[in-house]
Amino acid sequence: MSSETHDHDAGRVGGPEHDGLEHAGHEIDNYLSGKPFFSRAGGKIFIIWLPMTAVGVLISLFLPHHIFPALLSNQGTDVFETMVFFSILAAPVAAIVYAVGIYSLVAWRPKKHNMSEPPPDGAPQRGDGPLTTIWLVASTALVLVLLVWGITVWSAQQVTHSNTLVVKVIGQQWAWDFQYPGTSVVSHDLMLPVNRPVEFQITSEDITHGFWPVNLGVQVDANPNEVTIIRATPDRMGKFTVRCSQLCGLYHAFMYSPGDVVSSQQFANFLVAQGAKPAAAARLAETQPTISGLSATVAGS
Amino acid sequence: MSTATEIHYLEDTNLGPKAGGLYRRQNIFTGLAVGIISGFIGWLVSHALLQSSNWGTDMVVTVTMASWVIGFNAGMGTFNAPFRWLRGKDQTHEDELYAAGVSQGGWRYWKYCTDHKVVGTQYLVFVMALFGVGGALAMMIRTQLITPHSTFLDPETYNAIVTIHGMTMIIATIIMVSGPFANFIMPIMIGAKDMAFPRLNAMSFWVIFSAVPPLMATFFLGGVDAGWTTYAPLSVQAPAAMDAFAICIITFVVSVTVAGINTVVTIMTMRAKGMTMGRLPIFVWASMVGGALGLYAMPAFLLDMSMMITDRATGTSFFVNQVGGNGWLWENVFWIMGHPEVYVILIPGVGAILEICSTFARKPVFAYKVAIAGFVGIASLSIMVWAHHMFTTGWAPLLAGPFMVTTELISIPTGIIFLVIVGTLWKGSIWTRLPMYFAYLFLWNFIIGGVTGIYLSDVPADQYFHGDMFVTAHFHYTLLGGAMIGATAGVCYWFNKMTGRMLDEKIGKVAFWFIAIGIQVTYFGQFWEGFQGMPRRVAYYDPIFLHANQMSTAGAYVLMLGWLIFLYAMIHSWRNGEIAPPNPWHARTLEWLIPTPVPLENFLVDPVVTEDPYGYGDTPPPGQLAPFAEPEPEREPELVPVGADASASDGGSH
Repeated sequence: MSSETHDHDAGRVGGPEHDGLEHAGHEIDNYLSGKPFFSRAGGKIFIIWLPMTAVGVLISLFLPHHIFPALLSNQGTDVFETMVFFSILAAPVAAIVYAVGIYSLVAWRPKKHNMSEPPPDGAPQRGDGPLTTIWLVASTALVLVLLVWGITVWSAQQVTHSNTLVVKVIGQQWAWDFQYPGTSVVSHDLMLPVNRPVEFQITSEDITHGFWPVNLGVQVDANPNEVTIIRATPDRMGKFTVRCSQLCGLYHAFMYSPGDVVSSQQFANFLVAQGAKPAAAARLAETQPTISGLSATVAGS
Repeated sequence: MSTATEIHYLEDTNLGPKAGGLYRRQNIFTGLAVGIISGFIGWLVSHALLQSSNWGTDMVVTVTMASWVIGFNAGMGTFNAPFRWLRGKDQTHEDELYAAGVSQGGWRYWKYCTDHKVVGTQYLVFVMALFGVGGALAMMIRTQLITPHSTFLDPETYNAIVTIHGMTMIIATIIMVSGPFANFIMPIMIGAKDMAFPRLNAMSFWVIFSAVPPLMATFFLGGVDAGWTTYAPLSVQAPAAMDAFAICIITFVVSVTVAGINTVVTIMTMRAKGMTMGRLPIFVWASMVGGALGLYAMPAFLLDMSMMITDRATGTSFFVNQVGGNGWLWENVFWIMGHPEVYVILIPGVGAILEICSTFARKPVFAYKVAIAGFVGIASLSIMVWAHHMFTTGWAPLLAGPFMVTTELISIPTGIIFLVIVGTLWKGSIWTRLPMYFAYLFLWNFIIGGVTGIYLSDVPADQYFHGDMFVTAHFHYTLLGGAMIGATAGVCYWFNKMTGRMLDEKIGKVAFWFIAIGIQVTYFGQFWEGFQGMPRRVAYYDPIFLHANQMSTAGAYVLMLGWLIFLYAMIHSWRNGEIAPPNPWHARTLEWLIPTPVPLENFLVDPVVTEDPYGYGDTPPPGQLAPFAEPEPEREPELVPVGADASASDGGSH
């Protein structure tokens, strides 16, 4: 590339006090240019961005219905709504990046130029204009919205209820056992009465497992010598699966149990069939939910 | 007045017959021989002394593997110079030249060579080999998952493969940019003749080389069945393979730490005259932030694995709940390493992408200083987010809120990366050569990886998705679709400088489309599995996940084909490619202003830098550096530094 040897001195803007980072003028020119909005690059990108955002929002609204399994609890609904809400917020951000990317390939690629030589240089924008500030403020605002949403939902999930049904969960390689305190029932199936807050008290007999009643939208690890707690309120009847979400050795894949959210009566019948005394079964199954906001505490505190 | 033909190249020096001393007799074969003998002796001794004790097998495997690592490095020559120094002697100038590869021809690639360009090339080939192994294991996983109850692999083998796929890829991705490019390219970019610590540089390569045989040995020692995260207490009970795994990690950490120190010190101290911190190419900044973050992160891994070995071999119980330890301790220390580590992987790859966007949009890096602030912001926040990996472990539920805050704050500096890329493309003059293809693919993938990461940072949503295939798809989008595509773009960009030949773009573009489509199909399949509730790391699955798995596996085969084509393009071009000119991209960073192939010690005349390398559209392009440039009649080229004349510069590096 000997032909690339250029005059080293001419035209150089060198030196410490002039390091070539002052080109705000170019950008201000762009912002203030007199052309109508839609014939400028920004306007054309807006035309690409708008339908992309619309498609993103539509996907966010309708796709989750089709790919989530039936979510059977308040917490499952939280997961679902969070996914929809975050996707709607993400759509315009992803769309702006994609729109500029697509537009750059269409409009800013020099036509008919010899690919073995570089095209002429682009505008020497150094990013000293207001765009950086706008971007930072907008992304910070978005993050704050996400945080407020997330912390609000999370705090609401920590509210304890006065008539919670306690279920003890014991993980071991490679099966789940469920105990219903007050009865002698030990079951491999997880039966839950509908509309009754439930507190899972989880432990393990050997190593760490992940207790994941998938359709209830909650999970927590089962650790040996520790009791971990999660709460959920099943609000729809239906079958689900309890899986193990933490690799636990040879037959990790086979560590699952059937679950079922049933009516109070069916729940009582189940307990009796499993050997519980009818009185105890009725006592566990009968209570109706009442939310006690005053006794709200955070799990584990 | 000198001309190009009269230049005396250092590598043409005639060395005496004894130059190099012991180095003359050492190469990879003596390394392997001494390593194997040392490992065998380690096995004999530990077997005789310890096999009968309660923790015998673990102790024997640990000692054997450690003996291999030490023996291999002794055989390679890692300890030569320090021992000579301890004995009151030092390397002579001729010894140093020999160690830098003078008079050895192609052999230097098989030896303990201190030339940063040799080390960079060794890393490149080694990383490709690691990706080959990790990719083959990935294909076995995806093949197993074609049907719900495949008999292709038994669960024991499957778990071992899942673990080693993960760890091989982690090792490969950590060094895929910081190995080849931060070693070969970065010193030239800052105008240095070599890394600050050339011997440590060679050491970092051969140490990581010696870490891989213990990793592969795990398959023959019962297999590690605990996943690459090796959560205790399962890993404490794992077969003896876990000891070899731990020795691999400890060795790997030594290498990455040494390499990180070397990178940071090189950038701090070895810059050319006038190469101020504000004029560093953005890739150099990315390498420095990545290297420094590695220095914070990796020692935690060494600590964790050391405690793992003592738990297993000597009966301490740091991680065993039943006897006073706690598995959460493992998880905490692991993720204190584990989350910064993903940014150790990612940031240098992003740096390469920004460099490429600037060159192929023919524009300065947009908001250069904000980009640096973005890197530093990501690195700083990343050390405060580890417990988001533990939202669903039950550890400290009160901390879910604070860690949700720090985690989501990371999306602000990460958003800066997008701003910088988009701003650099803005009104650019897009030159769609192969590196730019991969830069656009990075942009596409990294948005998807970023957005899905935000779902996972939200505690209520994470309570559903944690530990399922959604997480797998998310981090493959960021690490493969983001970081590894960044490294691939770097290969396309710097291949000609490193090998002296142009990468074949026709074959490369075929590979690109297979890779681009393969990634989307594979990991959208896994997102789908994740939504449906399929756990990670399962050898068998519920038939309700069948279609999503088949989609993912089909995509994986397309992806594999893409990588094989890309590999073919590399090998083919390396052997038969068109001879590369020094600056095929007409770029302005220093590595393009010196000849290809790069001479030993890079610069025959120290360059003087007077401006940053992003003067596109603003200042005329720099020519070839003296004395390699064609001499111009009216001036003496060997005195002309890069940019303006030397007296105009402040001359100060900090």
